[in-house]
Amino acid sequence: MANIEIDAPCTRQLFIGNEAIARGALEAGIGFAAAYPGTPSSEIISSLAQVAKDMGIYAEWSVNEKVAMEAAAGASFAGIRSLAAMKQNGINVVSDFLANLVMSGIGKGGLVLVSCDDPSAISSSNEQDSRHIAKWLDIPLVEPGDFQEAKDMTKWLFELSEEIGTLFILRSVTRIAHARGNVKLGELPKREQRAYFDQIHDLKSVMPTSLMPIPSPLRHFFQHMKVDKAREKFEASQFNRYVGPDKADLLIVTCGSCWLYAQDAVKALKLEDKVGILKLGTLWPLPEKFVESNLGKSQKVLFVEEIDPFLERSVMEFVASLPSTSPHPTFYGKHSGHINAYGELNPDLVIKAISTVLGLTYQARDAGYGSEAEAVAKSHVPERSMTFCAGCPHRATFWAIKNALKLDGRNGIVTGDIGCYSMALGPAGFFQLRTLHCMGGGTGVANGLGKLGQFGFSQPVLAVVGDSTFYHATIPALINGIYNQSNFILVILDNSATAMTGFQPHPGIGTTAMGEPTKVVSMEALCRSLGTHVEVCDPFDLKHSTNTLLDMIAEGGGAKVIIMRRQCELVRGKKEKPPYRVWVDVEKCIGEACGCDRLCTKVFLCPGLTWDKKAGKSKIDEVICTGCGVCTEICPQGAITKEVA
Amino acid sequence: MAAEPKGCKELVNEVIEAGLCTLCGACTGNCPYLVYHKGRIALLDNCTISDGQCYKYCPRTCTDLDAISQQVFGKPYSEEEIGAAKEILIARTTDKRVRGKAQYGGVVTTLLSLALTEGLIDGAVLTKTSDDKTANPVLARSEKEIFQCAGSNYMACPVLGPYNQIPRDDSSKLGIVGTPCQVLAMTKMKNTPPINRANIRNVKLVIGLFCTWALSPDKFHRFLKEKLDLSKVKKFDIPPPPANRFDVYSTPDKISFPLDEIRQFTMPTCAYCLDMTSEFADVSVGSVEGIEGWDTVVIRTDIGAELVKTAKDKKKLETDKLPLENLAHLKEAALLKKKRALKEIANRSGDEKNLLYVGLSPNSAKKLLA
Repeated sequence: MANIEIDAPCTRQLFIGNEAIARGALEAGIGFAAAYPGTPSSEIISSLAQVAKDMGIYAEWSVNEKVAMEAAAGASFAGIRSLAAMKQNGINVVSDFLANLVMSGIGKGGLVLVSCDDPSAISSSNEQDSRHIAKWLDIPLVEPGDFQEAKDMTKWLFELSEEIGTLFILRSVTRIAHARGNVKLGELPKREQRAYFDQIHDLKSVMPTSLMPIPSPLRHFFQHMKVDKAREKFEASQFNRYVGPDKADLLIVTCGSCWLYAQDAVKALKLEDKVGILKLGTLWPLPEKFVESNLGKSQKVLFVEEIDPFLERSVMEFVASLPSTSPHPTFYGKHSGHINAYGELNPDLVIKAISTVLGLTYQARDAGYGSEAEAVAKSHVPERSMTFCAGCPHRATFWAIKNALKLDGRNGIVTGDIGCYSMALGPAGFFQLRTLHCMGGGTGVANGLGKLGQFGFSQPVLAVVGDSTFYHATIPALINGIYNQSNFILVILDNSATAMTGFQPHPGIGTTAMGEPTKVVSMEALCRSLGTHVEVCDPFDLKHSTNTLLDMIAEGGGAKVIIMRRQCELVRGKKEKPPYRVWVDVEKCIGEACGCDRLCTKVFLCPGLTWDKKAGKSKIDEVICTGCGVCTEICPQGAITKEVA
Repeated sequence: MAAEPKGCKELVNEVIEAGLCTLCGACTGNCPYLVYHKGRIALLDNCTISDGQCYKYCPRTCTDLDAISQQVFGKPYSEEEIGAAKEILIARTTDKRVRGKAQYGGVVTTLLSLALTEGLIDGAVLTKTSDDKTANPVLARSEKEIFQCAGSNYMACPVLGPYNQIPRDDSSKLGIVGTPCQVLAMTKMKNTPPINRANIRNVKLVIGLFCTWALSPDKFHRFLKEKLDLSKVKKFDIPPPPANRFDVYSTPDKISFPLDEIRQFTMPTCAYCLDMTSEFADVSVGSVEGIEGWDTVVIRTDIGAELVKTAKDKKKLETDKLPLENLAHLKEAALLKKKRALKEIANRSGDEKNLLYVGLSPNSAKKLLA
């Protein structure tokens, strides 16, 4: 991770977008930062947490995005500049609070929400354009087009937020958040910050003073005024600019990382003197005058943005309201099918769109290049399926789940959500996962399935969640299941880490984002206090885990909890040596013969196990094997052997 | 006539899901895919082997009775009602440790214990009634462990599972006590020796039990659990006809259920079984109508004959002749089972020429179906 606290104004540093945002927040003098980890947003808080002590600020991993935003708002209410960060799904979680916050207004400390979208859902359960929240809830929103802007915009938003008295959103996407570029640093403020809550509820005042969303219609009206004020600021923003000829064959209207793709595309097509690019940094409210002044550049306008036609619709709506004397160009974009309204874009897709609109034929490479390149790549890259790491406790847990459900024989189902354990939808988890939705969603779904006995439903229902997800969004669903006596088993896959997003600590770990020791919120104590049957198992003890699951399934009668506890192998492996040396006894291994049929390399599929085709025997890949020893339990011939290392 | 090579998928389709599984356990123990659990065989994962031992040894897949008879007796399948027999007699144990605990005459327990002490076997796979009164297969390696298995509980039990689990390199000599379906599976193994399991030649003694039907273990156990305090139960018994009772010896009283109430728990597959007397065993043992405390003993092979002779010589067993009237009854009952089963099979297949798993010569089949 880059050093974001370096006090060297005017020098250039190589930052990923998330570090640039964190640096921008430091330059703005924030005092408080909170987030729930989620790719591609996580590095914002982790880089701030790393320097928090030095910089005299506070940073935390909150239990979920809603609490993160609320905590940041609390700090703002007491006059501290604060920031909350999250991925697109977090915006959904936090939306109820935001809807109230825009009515109540913020405190004296500027308040900024960073939302990182994941086009193509590379690390997400869903693809979603979070910018709509801006329009929906009247929150001004900007989107940086490069790393420098990511830093500069963040700093600027704090100033605007305090001046106008509203929350601002900075929207970023994966290729800004995670790509790396030069950032010219500004100064780090040296200021003492004192927090004090002095907001009063003055009923006699004409202007509402309380930090409450009432009276709502009046507050709503004020928020519209604030949005108009933001629009005025946006009209003059340096983050909006036009580059290109005065009279262009085509005007590209773009924002965010698509700005970079558009520049690449125009350059590749050698159309710099024919195609102009109008790049917008402030997206909502639309800087209408600025847009209008540039629309006359061409009769053809192509919108290039990720994911939804947000800018496209805003501009088209605005132009529709203009008098006939104003320019009314022909619009191309997602509505016309020239640009995808899903997935990430790239220069090739933009080249294709420009070529189609302008009637050009452009071929970047020879016709056969693509297939040739693929063939070359395939010859060097071994085929890999999505899988759990070698030694991952989740593989063992899903082995136990699979066997318990098969032994039970009533076609039991597993509902789930997003986390490493989502991989259980495929061969890694023996296809056990049958539903996958938002954080904690599987437990909610299990609540419904578990109440269908009166309709003849007898399939056992297991809901899987990760440890961090348990704290995030599962507890209400569990309480609901206990209260309404829904028949399901909550399986908490406690690998003692928020593993998928980078091992961030959570309430069950005992350390904070800033690395300080703290109380452990015991999940078993919490669940037991709800008055339900709770079991704790070591997933590596396959027999015990399977039997415990079988007993709990047979037991029936309301929501129950089983905690499968084993530290994430990637965390353990950093601290300790492998516990066992594991090898295959070739005398005992019967390979593909009846009595095995390569159970370990065809079904169990730990990457540490390989198939020696020549010998017709299984083999341990000593480089990959983590020495967990679980495969010694599944080998039907006892051919896989372990010895304490 | 032998079963064509098939795998676990076909076993599941043709036998398990078709309701024909006897729970003998022949497909379990050595296989990581097929596992016994609470009264059923579960398929945990898909095995890709197309010539599976699971399918090969299943007593409900195509079985060439002449071929396996040839293997055991050196001659084609006997048309006798109770199969090939060298001698039929009645016997009872002289061992006080066995009397009372064992069913009827205690012959099975006595023969096993003798086979162990004489060195004919080093252990035996048996069915044990556990403290919770479930039937569990065990590999007994001592006299004490054999005694613990004395007595019947009438529930189907995958007794061949522990046999299959014995390591390949284990050379222990083994005995097995089984019902007709279990003995049939074992005989199929003898006919085509299994791979990657202990040598089938180590099986030195097969004691068969008389059987009219077995109870579905999970369903029946649940029934008993609802009706009785199982911790107080000592013994189960179905006294010979015409009693028509299922007796549970409990403390302080004996509790009897009408046999018809118990029949609802019989394994559906038993309706398709031709064999009442474990026709492929070395020696078969069952009750005797009207002579309490004695067992009927059908000696079928030299091994069986030798063992019974030693037992007599060493005064472990007392023997007597089986009254002719009893023999006639026994044969009548055995024949009735064959006829009923074949009819059921023909009904199921819809064709008298398609006898599903039963590999009988057309002539024999015709006679039985007449």
